[in-house]
Amino acid sequence: MGNLLEIELKQETLPAPAQEKEGHTFLSGAQAMMECLLAESVDTIFGYPGGAIMPTYDALYDYIDRINHILVRHEQGAGHAAQGFARVSGRTGVCLVTSGPGGTNLITPIADAIIDCTPLVCIVGQVKSNLLGTDAFQETDMIGVTTPVCKWNYQIIDPNEVPEIMAKAFFIAKSGKPGPVVIDFTRDSQAAKMTKPFVYKKVEKMVSYNPRVVPKQEQIEKAAELINKAKRPYILFGHGVLIADAVQELLDFVEKTDIPCASTLLGLSAMPNNHPNYMGWLGMHGMYSPNVMTDECDILIAVGMRFDDRVTGDSTKFAPQARIIHIEIDPSEVDKIKKAEAPVIGDAKEALKMLMPLVKKGDFTGWKNEFRKLDVKEYDKVTLRDLSQEGKIKMAEVVALLSDKTNGEACIVVDVGQHQMVTARYYQFKKANSFIASGGLGTMGFAIPASFGAKVGAPDREVVGIIGDGCFQMTIQELGTIAQSGLAVKMIILNNNFLGMVRQWQQLFYDNRYSFVELQNPDFITIARGFGIDGHTCSERENLSDSLDKMLDSKKAYLLEVIVEKEENVFPMVPAGTSVSEIRLE
Amino acid sequence: MTTYTICVFTENSIGLLNKITIIFTRRRINIESLTVSETERKGISRFTIVIKHEKREAVEKLVRQIRKIIEVLAVFGYLNEDIVYNEIALYKISTPLNGKSVDVETINKIYKAWVVYWGLDYVVIEKTGTETEIFDFFRYIKPHGIIEFVRSGRVAVCKTPQGLIEYLPEEITEWEYYL
Repeated sequence: MGNLLEIELKQETLPAPAQEKEGHTFLSGAQAMMECLLAESVDTIFGYPGGAIMPTYDALYDYIDRINHILVRHEQGAGHAAQGFARVSGRTGVCLVTSGPGGTNLITPIADAIIDCTPLVCIVGQVKSNLLGTDAFQETDMIGVTTPVCKWNYQIIDPNEVPEIMAKAFFIAKSGKPGPVVIDFTRDSQAAKMTKPFVYKKVEKMVSYNPRVVPKQEQIEKAAELINKAKRPYILFGHGVLIADAVQELLDFVEKTDIPCASTLLGLSAMPNNHPNYMGWLGMHGMYSPNVMTDECDILIAVGMRFDDRVTGDSTKFAPQARIIHIEIDPSEVDKIKKAEAPVIGDAKEALKMLMPLVKKGDFTGWKNEFRKLDVKEYDKVTLRDLSQEGKIKMAEVVALLSDKTNGEACIVVDVGQHQMVTARYYQFKKANSFIASGGLGTMGFAIPASFGAKVGAPDREVVGIIGDGCFQMTIQELGTIAQSGLAVKMIILNNNFLGMVRQWQQLFYDNRYSFVELQNPDFITIARGFGIDGHTCSERENLSDSLDKMLDSKKAYLLEVIVEKEENVFPMVPAGTSVSEIRLE
Repeated sequence: MTTYTICVFTENSIGLLNKITIIFTRRRINIESLTVSETERKGISRFTIVIKHEKREAVEKLVRQIRKIIEVLAVFGYLNEDIVYNEIALYKISTPLNGKSVDVETINKIYKAWVVYWGLDYVVIEKTGTETEIFDFFRYIKPHGIIEFVRSGRVAVCKTPQGLIEYLPEEITEWEYYL
């Protein structure tokens, strides 16, 4: 509570004149920024220098022993890398870029982070405050530009504000529903000295923003009552489970109640895929039974998910019979798409913990078997064909083999498109925080930077980026970052020479009219070698296993290009805007 | 179309108007009127925003989305019957020499409007009231020749006995009164 009152007082009292004693100087705004990062235990930042952020980069020079700065090749790379870092580690990702184009290049990752709830603090340089609004060199109104796509933004024009604002920034980014915060840092406030000693007080609560973590007991009781009455209950869990670090709580809950569960795309890896209650994942290209059974359940328990249109299809026809329990930290998500009979506002971890003693031990063997019956249908129509080992190499077999070879324990970073969906289908996740994808925004070019960001966030884990040939070329310059930073990231290009997902839609819904989807690709391996990254191409099935071994055995970054079937389609598929009952298997 | 009055209480900081209105833009909802001023508590601003919408549900979603803005303390959506509300309008009326003189008695007694400024060949009349009352008077005074007419946004208080403070986070009760 202290913080806001202080801010209130601050507006009253203008900064006192410098009281520098002889031989004693206060920190500059830029130095204060570095101290804030240390106070928040930030040890890694991703960035790119430029004119308006130079005082901060100069201050950083004295902190390179404590703050590891990864120099990217494009600010978009910094943003996605920070996302990968945050997603794998659960910590806040930090970016440091300059004004104007530096800031605007960061917009895509910011928009990606808000929709996928990724905690980022983006420090963006700004022109001197006396030049604000004058169309000065490299001036962009970052507050105006980022307002619709960030969780919070603030322009610092006085170095004395730095500690207070950064404490708020880190609190806002990480708490509640996490998201990106943009700090617009004017050049003069970076260079100017503070007029008082640097004091950093972490923010844990704000008057106007204080998200509820522990749900209300009566909401929990109502939810428990519904669950205990259910004949055919079904859990859909999402990214919220991973964000809340509620993986163990979910497992305990599922094992006690014996309720079958399915994941959303971003919830993948929150539950071990071989668990008997795990039915797969649902959504447009999700699995058959998890999709279809939404129409059969009586109680739907949504945990940390938001009924995205890629999950529901036509939301009016999605689980119309089900009574919905919605466990969600953001009150504005409740009733947004699907009306919840029993909303539980709070953190997924707390909610599941509180539900545990109130729910009955259950046995839903019969109900679970209904899912398993449908799985057979999917296996016959889709999986068998995908893994048939006939004709050219198929994406599915690459992923399935990789899954075996890494024992389902690698951290998988994917880009956007067919390869993303195939990876989600065929990688058998065993460890949490192992599937990193741009789900909400669907940002092509996400995977190269996000995979090295993930490697920085989890240096001891095997990080494998699975990337399409189109996506790879969107952020190909970040190979330079990987090489310079010496990060042992493994990358697989599943090359079908097409923008495969768009081509699939054109084939299915636009009468085979392939409009600008075929690519003339470069020699990816030569390019990688040019950047100093080793790699090779695999185009024959008999070399696939050895190729994957070679990549995985490499102690350095490695690029494996696999030439795959050109015109393969991803099934099952719920065509856009239809109901899940219209799911296609072929 | 139903008229809704949305009251937003916020910390008083730069850029907040944009953060709030951009949500209306995104949801393609037109703002009919907007009034902003500081409340009885120092540092807390009150936005009164009037919109017309067919679906109550959509307005509820809008309200919840506005609440997500970090600096926003509380948001309420009201129907007309829930609130006491008014607007103010100024009418600059031409009164040339030898022209028809304005009937001050009717203006005061019937229309509850006041002449607040006498110019050489014009007067400025002020009227508070609802949109309907303001336009009723507009039609009455129109034959005199309206040189200029301006109408403010709506101001409103809700018809419950509670004050704003009871809806806001506890800490704020310690905040100073404005003035």
